Amino acid sequence: MTTAVPKRRKTSATPDAPTVAPETAPDKTPHPAPRPKDAPKTMKELRLFREGKRKPPPKQEDNPLREGLRLERVPDPSTLVLFGSTGDLAHRKVVPALYQLWRTNLLPHEFVILAIGRREYSDDEIRAEYRASLEKFSRVLPLDDAAWRSFSSRIRYQRCDFADAAGFDKLVKTLDAIDREQRTPGNHLYYLATQPSAFAEIVGQLGRVGLDHERHEGGWRRIVIEKPFGHDLNSAIRLNREVGKVFRESQVYRIDHYLGKETVRNLLVFRFGNGIFEPIWNRRHIDHIQITVAESIGVENRGAFYEETGASRDILQNHLLQLMSLVAMEPPATFEADALRDEKVKVIRAIGELSPDQTRTAVVRGQYGPGWVAAKQVKGYRQEPEVDPESETETFVAARFEVDDWRWSGVPFYLRAGKRLPKRSTEIAIQFKEVPHRLFRESNTDPDPNLLAIRIQPDEGIMLRFGAKVPGLGIDVRSVTMDFTYGSAFSIDSPDAYETLILDALLGDASLFTRADEVEGAWARVSPIIETWAESPPPEFPNYEAGTWGPEEADELLAREGRKWRRI
Amino acid sequence: MEADLSEGAVATAPARPHEPVLRWRSRAHSIEEIEQELSRIWSQEDASLNVDLDGDHVNDRHIAARTSVMNLVVIARRPEVGERCAATIQRLTGRHPSRTMVIQPADPDGPSWLDAQIVAHCVTPSVDVPETCAETIHMTCGGESGRHLDAIVAPLLIHDLPVTVWWPDEPPFGSVQVTDLLAMADRLIVDGSSWHGTGITQLRRMAAAAEQFPLAISDFALVRQSRWREAIAAIFDIPDFLPYLRHIRRIAVAYGVRDEGGAEETNIVKPLYHAAWLGSRLGMKVVKPLAAMTVGPRKPPPRGRGAPLATPGAGLAATLRVERTDVAVVIRPVMSEMPPGTTLRVELLADWRGSELRADVTAEQEAVHVRVWQDGVHALERGFNAPRRTDVDLLEEAIEAGGRDPVAAGTLELAAELAGGPLHG
Repeated sequence: MTTAVPKRRKTSATPDAPTVAPETAPDKTPHPAPRPKDAPKTMKELRLFREGKRKPPPKQEDNPLREGLRLERVPDPSTLVLFGSTGDLAHRKVVPALYQLWRTNLLPHEFVILAIGRREYSDDEIRAEYRASLEKFSRVLPLDDAAWRSFSSRIRYQRCDFADAAGFDKLVKTLDAIDREQRTPGNHLYYLATQPSAFAEIVGQLGRVGLDHERHEGGWRRIVIEKPFGHDLNSAIRLNREVGKVFRESQVYRIDHYLGKETVRNLLVFRFGNGIFEPIWNRRHIDHIQITVAESIGVENRGAFYEETGASRDILQNHLLQLMSLVAMEPPATFEADALRDEKVKVIRAIGELSPDQTRTAVVRGQYGPGWVAAKQVKGYRQEPEVDPESETETFVAARFEVDDWRWSGVPFYLRAGKRLPKRSTEIAIQFKEVPHRLFRESNTDPDPNLLAIRIQPDEGIMLRFGAKVPGLGIDVRSVTMDFTYGSAFSIDSPDAYETLILDALLGDASLFTRADEVEGAWARVSPIIETWAESPPPEFPNYEAGTWGPEEADELLAREGRKWRRI
Repeated sequence: MEADLSEGAVATAPARPHEPVLRWRSRAHSIEEIEQELSRIWSQEDASLNVDLDGDHVNDRHIAARTSVMNLVVIARRPEVGERCAATIQRLTGRHPSRTMVIQPADPDGPSWLDAQIVAHCVTPSVDVPETCAETIHMTCGGESGRHLDAIVAPLLIHDLPVTVWWPDEPPFGSVQVTDLLAMADRLIVDGSSWHGTGITQLRRMAAAAEQFPLAISDFALVRQSRWREAIAAIFDIPDFLPYLRHIRRIAVAYGVRDEGGAEETNIVKPLYHAAWLGSRLGMKVVKPLAAMTVGPRKPPPRGRGAPLATPGAGLAATLRVERTDVAVVIRPVMSEMPPGTTLRVELLADWRGSELRADVTAEQEAVHVRVWQDGVHALERGFNAPRRTDVDLLEEAIEAGGRDPVAAGTLELAAELAGGPLHG
């Protein structure tokens, strides 16, 4: 079984991307469409326009030379301003992704990385640190010396405390100088790889010094914000409001790196690029859906962070609900960012909000105790560094949701995520209904219902389980699998999710980023659960042993409906 | 004659990721024997493909024998060309596993004979992932059999899979040999920039073949220019410059020649494609086909379809038309150390509402450089990395173009029209 190589979107979808010095403030995202200069502004103008007494505004023509270009479009000359440049995320993910994009000629020739941090560094020192990180974290090793030399020459460092107004004043001058000297005509991508607590402050400072303005003589301004975006519904709304005071929604790119994964993107190709699945992708044929994000690791050295988040905030609110929306969404009319996100938002809104009583029956939380994982004895969560010995933070969550719409009414979606489970695995399992009539009664075994498993990591691929006759004189039916693995079918390295997402942000394609209403919608489903837990008696933690598939209640969640978790 | 079965599974060390490893080798002397050998390859038990020279098992890797995604037929006149093509194809085994037939016609006047070597190469994407394998059949066909390529290819095709013909030399378009083969093909891959002389006659014949068959044509000469096209397109991504695109007045392409008289023997397929791509994307039609530019009193250019193209010594000029506006096309040679026929510069001149835009796109080492002037004022300068592309890159892009690429088809059509029209027969 093979699938088409998921192509990156070609440029004709976003043809209106300006490069330099447009007279009008450029907005490269197709939706909401930029308001033409002579668009009707008053009610009178609108009425005249509708009555045909006024010429419609001229339509922005597409660039016909873009049609059919097969190479990846190279982003406009630009500067990526990396806040939190000395942090773990920058070293492990952002800089390796940028290096890989540079090495494969996917970044513009005129490109500068302006690293911003609180520590005192020279340009050469930060370059040396990045070089050392790349030696460890680059997905292609050994490093290409020529590529590194040209890449590193584009890295600058500026010390700046986020609370320091003078630092941002200086940033304006630095960026002006870079734009002038390096021919990056005012196109800035601000990347916030900092602690979430710094997001609002940085955004505010950028607004104060005018670095959000898409000035008439300069190019675009965009901001990338890492998850977690808020820690509950109210904080997410507040943060959206703070960001919205400075940047327009079309300038904001909220990262959920799961959406940049090759298999997640392939899910769209699988669903909407093949004719045979969509007709059965509904309540008439599907019994239920399971989505699992299992990790075998514990909290590692992130105990303090995890104490504040837990599995619900860390995984359920974003990754799990994003995957669920991609599985359940209706086909978008186009592959443009807002068309895609509109459909995802509809799914999230159609998920019923759980009352406290429903939370108690439909959601299970757990925390791991000591146990064995991969033949190694491991500590319990409460024994991990930086973790409260009486912690009530959940390291496991399982939930049953329903999508209350025409397609999915009555089909349960079982979601689970946890740490210190037996293996690392993320997958979506579509369990189809049993055959309506048992024809092969003589068979020794009942064939399992068909199952379609979409593995996201590791061993990205797709597996279909179906019944087959066992060779022999009788009629004996067994389940067999048809297995497609990306690694075998395409003997090439898939791009890292961060490569995909950073390139998309530079190109102004927001399809794989979450919109404000998506984030708030997801929090609106998860916050009531967290609030119910806060008002409930303390849980009896730990309630599952490390190396098992979570607490027994998680199994009961399915068992009481005659189902069970798929064995992974 | 029976197949030589003394070979078969080849012992090698475990494959390193992305490095193709030879896993099978055998010979055959007829189509039937080749078919038998192909069946044998994939009916081997896994372990038998993993023995060393002493017959000991060297690893227990699982061989993932899987369906290929296409039939790839390579017609190579010389053995070294066939070997080079086979090596290129091996590098694509993981991404585009295919049944590859490398056919080398030989000794056309002798008796008919067929000698085939069947090899299977496997590649492993990473250490813990099963290998994927694909087979290559190297065939040398003597005598009359070498003139009936379709009769050799047809029985060895995997059903239902697309057929791509890669003709690295110069296909004798119009011959029965080519016509019969192209009739069963879905895609033809050539390198027009390697053809003899100006390459124009061949290009016109290829355009005629494109009209005759429902065939997708990928020309490496055109594929190589993708970064140029990206650079030119990027100019008009800028909203201020976009309106000029519909008002281009002149397209000038300069290409390299080694000496003053070299233009007559220099392949100009690449510079011609530049003009044809722009013209076809902008909906231009040919008013006057290319003719030699002359110094002094202007002579009327040759008229009519199929008229011979004048020698390009001082350059060639043509006229395109879009709506009611004429567009001058100039293709001129420039002395250069670059390989003959290499595009050195593309210049565009446009007038819109009394304002002039001039764009100058040049190749500089491994980059394409764009400079734009608006009413004489320098308005844009930008570079695009354009590393040299290998045959593997070009073949990969040609294969992945999928279906009949309207851009390539439109470019070839207009290029042929500029050169005097498709040449049938």
